[in-house]
Amino acid sequence: MNVIWLLIICITVLYCLCNGRVDVINAVFVSVGKETFDFVVPLLCVTAFWNGMLYIARDAKILAALEKLAHPILKRLFPDLKNDAETLGYVASNVIVNMVGLGSAATPMGLKAMQGMQQHNPHKEEASRSMVTFLVLNTAGVTLLSTTIIAMRSSFHSLDVTGFMPFAILSTCFASFVGLCVDRWWNYRD
Amino acid sequence: MINTSYILPLLVLFICVIALLRRVNAYHSFIEGVKDGIFLFSDIYPALLAMMCAITLLRESGLMEVICNGIATYIEGIPKEIWPMVFFRPISGNASLAVLVDIFKTCGVDSLQGIMASIIQGSTDTTFYVITLYFSSVGIKKTKNALPIGLLADVAGIAMAIFLTVWFFG
Repeated sequence: MNVIWLLIICITVLYCLCNGRVDVINAVFVSVGKETFDFVVPLLCVTAFWNGMLYIARDAKILAALEKLAHPILKRLFPDLKNDAETLGYVASNVIVNMVGLGSAATPMGLKAMQGMQQHNPHKEEASRSMVTFLVLNTAGVTLLSTTIIAMRSSFHSLDVTGFMPFAILSTCFASFVGLCVDRWWNYRD
Repeated sequence: MINTSYILPLLVLFICVIALLRRVNAYHSFIEGVKDGIFLFSDIYPALLAMMCAITLLRESGLMEVICNGIATYIEGIPKEIWPMVFFRPISGNASLAVLVDIFKTCGVDSLQGIMASIIQGSTDTTFYVITLYFSSVGIKKTKNALPIGLLADVAGIAMAIFLTVWFFG
């Protein structure tokens, strides 16, 4: 990431210098801070609202109920963790919290789940197959309620804030489905 | 077609009814959640500023257009504004968020590009970030095939997102 970021900045600045468009760079340096601030603040206000709502859902044990529903499916996806209810629990919370769009809250649970899986891992420096499945599930990111995009679209005064949702859900499910199929085919052949 | 504007009100209603039935101190939970949400500012703003800086430079310098035009001549049917989104989505969530803002600003939030970018943003998560963070947290050096499978899932999700947008909105 670091290298990509530095390369983008160096190349663009050089490109502008060669084209004699120094004023463009200067304008960007002056305005980018305020521009970012201007969209982060409204974005954050909407996200804060949904964060509040989801905390109610968490405290009302709605998320816990969803985790229970996910258990039988997860047991099939992670046969190596069948007898480790605790780790499977962390996996379930991570997946559910990701689904409702609280990505940053999901990370600590994901890390706990990784630690749990590491205990069952015979080669401590090599990823176990449960870990690969878990990461595929995470990178495909099954998000059913994308609070950030909703916030972003409403702060840009969209006429149809939630119109993208069914399609995003379809795509995210498709991504996870493809990821899991490839994972099964590649890692569980024996 | 389902009317999606009902999703959020019904969700809020559902949460609040359950909270009422289970006698949860919902007001307190809500305040807590918002408080935690506000703290995100100090995480989000620096990362987004870094990304916005790179993306704005790319756009303003004209380099982005050169690259996107280059790709668009080979692959037709996908709006050229979408390409930065496709590249940055697996690399960094904040970078793709910055591209999303950029597309909303230049093409409009309800344009075909705006909708397509929203769906792409929702379709996958940042593969590189998740893999780096999760594996390094438990000291794993050989990641086996997690990265190729993750990227394949990203490609599938993004392709599906583009296909659906062109099919239903195009």
